Amino acid sequence: MELPIRLSKSSREPIYHQIENQLKALIAGGQLPEGTPLPSIRALSKDLETSAITIRRAYQDLEYQGFIQTTQGKGTFVAQVEDSMKQQVKVSEVYQTIENAVETALSYDYTIEQIKEIFTEVIDSHRKGGS
Amino acid sequence: MKPIMEFTNIEKRLDSLHIGPINLSVEPGTITTIVGTNGAGKSTLLKLMMNLVKPDQGNIKLLNSFVHGPDENWKKNISYQPQTAVGWNAFTGKSLRDFIAPLYPNWDEVLFKRIVEAFNIPLNKSFVALSQGIQQKLKLALTLPRNTSLLLLDEPTAYMDIPAKEQLMNFIVEWMEHGHRAIVMASHQSADIMKLSDYLVVLKQGKLIDIFEKETLIDTHKQYWFNEALPVEKVPGELFRKATQLISNNPERTEAYLHQHGIAWTALESLNLEEIITLILTK
Repeated sequence: MELPIRLSKSSREPIYHQIENQLKALIAGGQLPEGTPLPSIRALSKDLETSAITIRRAYQDLEYQGFIQTTQGKGTFVAQVEDSMKQQVKVSEVYQTIENAVETALSYDYTIEQIKEIFTEVIDSHRKGGS
Repeated sequence: MKPIMEFTNIEKRLDSLHIGPINLSVEPGTITTIVGTNGAGKSTLLKLMMNLVKPDQGNIKLLNSFVHGPDENWKKNISYQPQTAVGWNAFTGKSLRDFIAPLYPNWDEVLFKRIVEAFNIPLNKSFVALSQGIQQKLKLALTLPRNTSLLLLDEPTAYMDIPAKEQLMNFIVEWMEHGHRAIVMASHQSADIMKLSDYLVVLKQGKLIDIFEKETLIDTHKQYWFNEALPVEKVPGELFRKATQLISNNPERTEAYLHQHGIAWTALESLNLEEIITLILTK
């Protein structure tokens, strides 16, 4: 199974961390429900063109945090994750996305006031579009 | 974990090349690629592992036994696919299989048949009558199923078309799933092969430049773009610059310097592996 993970070339975030966070988001968002089998370390490292060491590190972190489970001889599966934990992942992802947008705007020399304006415009257009 | 293969202080003098000293350890579960320009000594390194070339100095161990010396029992634990198969021309794929399979106790006939089928290899034609691409595929079909602890592949993607390369990568991934194994490949910068690797051993004219874990290499090489001209002095970490573009092999120090001097970059990007290897081999 191929996972919809996209690694960014322009991020300073280490690759294992990008993989870890995107997997968390897929689990919290319900795209990967409990019990879903995950690709083997070697298979995912081929798909993402990373080393197996990087995938192993991401999987170990996720296992430690309770998002996935590895059963000897059977493979790695999505674990049972509490709703509160899922909520936490979603909130922090939204925060992070908005923070990145603000940083981009600041790097183009927009002022905080201007950024607020843009933000309000985007929100308004969403309200009107009903999306 | 015990290494599958170990090089200790290996040196070898050839006519035009002095290889080493090289220390190298291949751990189970890893894929390593030896990269370097033509004539850097990549194939010789594989031949040293097979004891086809004898070192002037140092030791090579496969699964804790020395590869030199009279006992050649270690040979059933290693498979080697050379660039050129010597002595195969007169034989058909079928007879080559009948010759090779009994030498390896773990020979996987099912895998052999699957590779033959996937690559559409005619087993009844003599090796010399096959195209270079098909020869390459047959070599692979006769090497992977040996199921040894260590697999050595010299330029495995040579002459292969794009779909065949993809199939080869899938076979390699599958082969690696079976536990206590490792692969060492030699390639002069095939992107496909590097992407599949965990470690890159970079050789330049026989000298070992370094052994890099792939993501470390990517994380430590960044390129920056600027709106303004950069200071004339060398920026910490600077590897290369062109007008308003800078490549650094120490992003942390480069960025600290830029912050300190109030220089903002307009874009930041990682380099791809081929670019990094080219920089290492040419700068």
